[in-house]
Amino acid sequence: MVLKLHGARMSTCTRTVAVVARELNVPYEFVDVDFAKAEHKSPAFTAVQPFGQVPYIDEDGFKLFESRAISRYLAKKYAGQGTKLIPTDPKDEAVFEQGVSIESSNFYPHAFGFAFEKVFKARRGLTTDEARAEEHLKTLAAKLDAYDVILGKQKYIGGNELTLADLFHLAYTQFLITLGQGDLFESRPNVARWWKEISNRPSWLAVKDGA
Amino acid sequence: MVLKIYGFPFSTATRLVVFVCKEKQIPYELITIDLFKGEHKQPAYTKFHPFGQVPYIDDDGFILFESRPIVRYLLKKHASQGTQGLLPTDPQAEARAEQALSIEASSFDPNVSGIVAELYFKPQRGLSTDEANLARLKETLNEKLDAYEVILGKQKFLGGDSITVGDLAHAPYGTLLETVGQGEFFTSRPNVARWWKEVTSRPAWEAVKAECVL
Repeated sequence: MVLKLHGARMSTCTRTVAVVARELNVPYEFVDVDFAKAEHKSPAFTAVQPFGQVPYIDEDGFKLFESRAISRYLAKKYAGQGTKLIPTDPKDEAVFEQGVSIESSNFYPHAFGFAFEKVFKARRGLTTDEARAEEHLKTLAAKLDAYDVILGKQKYIGGNELTLADLFHLAYTQFLITLGQGDLFESRPNVARWWKEISNRPSWLAVKDGA
Repeated sequence: MVLKIYGFPFSTATRLVVFVCKEKQIPYELITIDLFKGEHKQPAYTKFHPFGQVPYIDDDGFILFESRPIVRYLLKKHASQGTQGLLPTDPQAEARAEQALSIEASSFDPNVSGIVAELYFKPQRGLSTDEANLARLKETLNEKLDAYEVILGKQKFLGGDSITVGDLAHAPYGTLLETVGQGEFFTSRPNVARWWKEVTSRPAWEAVKAECVL
């Protein structure tokens, strides 16, 4: 049975799983979760994903949520095909995991925080806290200075090969760029080089405008 | 050469690494980095940790930072000793353990650390609590823990019926949440309370709290 990806086409986390599946040449069937009808909060949905978030996968009855956990599971299961996305050498794997954690601890909170203030709050009828938005940008800039140092020493964020750690940056970086913050990435030479490369991969181009 | 952990005894991330070392009976040397003196922002430190955070490890010359990768690395390296099953090898069980660790990192840590910052760290630095932000963080944490309550009504731990690193990862910040008087988040939910008690009453966690002091 083909892998089912339950999500929303433009959801950052849904597109993350989609890009990973494509890199691995894993076919999937996209199942739309109707946010307009609050389907993600319905009992049928929360029975599978208790936090009412997207995406989750259904692989022949085995269900999993949290996009980074899903991505790891697929990358390990389909390690023999497509792009190798998780190293097998123990130390290389540790450096890869470090890259994943850098994204989720240092990048994501501020990328999300900024997007929350500028976009998500308005959708919920709340007002933007401009000071907080600025603070997130300022922190993000400092974090990306560290990225520029790291990416001056290694080709990718998880080591010298492309890994899931790089792919996990795609959706929110694109989001920040659409919110006019592209300069954060363009102004740092190693970050710019890395971003140009990962954002032009066919797998991302195929899903960046919809999973 | 014994594992070196460069960290701070009260740092939650440092405590997670020490917790796993104790569970797996891994000998270590904890070298204190003086956060109050800004030692973590000095070039001698940022040379090894570009983000200037604690902890990082030096495992016979192999440098690694970010506590969750560090504990994964140690769990895999020392798989055969100490507590078993913290990071399963069966693909589906491993995926569920990773799902649990991701829940902790996405749903628990940001909200708890934010609450602790508003209630403790900001006042300590002479800054005032942002009440609106605090209220929003509490509301979000309540929603997340309501989902935990459902999950933990069906299975013993977050990753299944055996304890995994995803459960352990909650101990440092959860304990800090209790210290700032917010323990009701756990005690008000029967399944969460049961789970929380089990995770935090582990001898290894008691040992971390006793040992990781200044």
